[in-house]
Amino acid sequence: MYKFFLYTILTILYLGLAKALSPSETGVQYLQNNKGFSKIVKGHQSTMILVDTHATGFLIKTYYQKYRLISGYDTVEEIIVRTSREFAKKNLKFIGLSIYRKSPEKEEFLPLPPGSLYVGNREYGEWRENKKGEIRWRFNKVFKNFPKYLGWGKFRPDEEFFQELRSRASLNEPFFGVQGEFGPQGKITQENFPHFFNEERMKKVDMKTLLIEYFKENF
Amino acid sequence: MAEIFDRLVIRILLAAFVCLMLYLYRYAHVIFYPSVKRQVLKRINPAENPADSLHLFARLIGISLVFSSITFNESSGFFLSIFHFAVWGTIAIVLYLLSLFIVESIVFYNFDYKDEILKRKNMSYAFISFCHAIVIAYLTRTVMIEAENSLIILLVLWLYMLVIVGFSVKYYIFISKLSFNRLMLQKNLSLCFSYGGFALGAGFIIASCFDQEHYDITVYCIQVLLKTILSLLIFPLFKKGLVYIFPIKLGEDRGHQGHIDADMQSLGYGFYEGSVFIAGAILTTMIVNRIQFGTIYPFF
Repeated sequence: MYKFFLYTILTILYLGLAKALSPSETGVQYLQNNKGFSKIVKGHQSTMILVDTHATGFLIKTYYQKYRLISGYDTVEEIIVRTSREFAKKNLKFIGLSIYRKSPEKEEFLPLPPGSLYVGNREYGEWRENKKGEIRWRFNKVFKNFPKYLGWGKFRPDEEFFQELRSRASLNEPFFGVQGEFGPQGKITQENFPHFFNEERMKKVDMKTLLIEYFKENF
Repeated sequence: MAEIFDRLVIRILLAAFVCLMLYLYRYAHVIFYPSVKRQVLKRINPAENPADSLHLFARLIGISLVFSSITFNESSGFFLSIFHFAVWGTIAIVLYLLSLFIVESIVFYNFDYKDEILKRKNMSYAFISFCHAIVIAYLTRTVMIEAENSLIILLVLWLYMLVIVGFSVKYYIFISKLSFNRLMLQKNLSLCFSYGGFALGAGFIIASCFDQEHYDITVYCIQVLLKTILSLLIFPLFKKGLVYIFPIKLGEDRGHQGHIDADMQSLGYGFYEGSVFIAGAILTTMIVNRIQFGTIYPFF
């Protein structure tokens, strides 16, 4: 009994010390759910785009998410957070979407295509007719790199997209684009966030292939 | 040819200098063991007292191990490299003998060198002392290498190492069935092999905890502490596992306590416990140091 007690004390001591000093504990913020975003995002007119998600561990998994934080006039940064299992699983289907938006008036947590905070805001751009005669959203010169940061590629929203976006937002429904261009199934997201969709990561390896590759590499 | 010959001469001179340092060590040894003055300073007769020979020559092996951590840098000049060896060799001698003195004061607090070695010729005492000499030398060598010629870091690490060793030698009473003081009085060899295995095992574990890259002394010390605690958690698992996989029988089938005690005091039981301790310790170092979890910080 005495030895068992001593062993338990040692285990607790080890776990406590290791947790307090681990770089993964001190360097990465923990995001349990949507409410944690406001602590991470300091600037105004900010949007958090879920770029990647990753799980480590064998029996007890630790979930990480990578976000691209775009804040109005500030620089763009990529943030890695540790998160809860539920939150990670829930957001898996919203890769490439804006999960969080913060404006001086309100905070929004509805998954919408990236840039939905800025589209329609005259401070950031305007609706302009292109050479084909289509009316598309165009960012002001100061924000000319925003389409790249937002992962739009060549996509520029039109008025139909904007109307649909507003309508879905009022219904509190996630929106993946008029043609479903955004999200894990969306072409634009797949093209602009290639790391998550990397073939190597998506590949499900069976035991036989794994063993063959192991022997090829090691012997 | 001239250059090669010159290098050979340098090596011979340095070897002679190391011998000179060992000669100094012989006298330094007397500081901590004044009672051996007569034996050490005169010609030694190994046949007269094997326990004393083992006790003394274990220290010779030990100091050789410690000296092996010092490097000669010939590019900075012959005399400077000799001076470097003299300074660090002296530090090594002092730290090594002081460590031995402290550890033996903890372990043999009920026993006296003069009584056990000189009068009673206790081989059990001598063998345990031999193991201490080797283990402490190995650990001093490790901290000297880790200190990378910084005296402050060396002192910090040496003190830290001593604290860990001091606690670890007390751990023996928790994991062995043998009564240290009683069997030591009986000059029991089972005890010396069991304790020897334990001391060598503990030495392996502590040395492996110290053997890691360091950029910041505080972080390094914390990492060493964490690894030491982790080893304390892993080692009992291996010990239990080894005892379960290789079960032993003590006494006759319906043997009473007396038979069991007699069997435990046999040489075989000492070998058994000692081997389990060493094997468990080596496997513990593997679990603590040889598992690569990849980068802790998630880069993806």
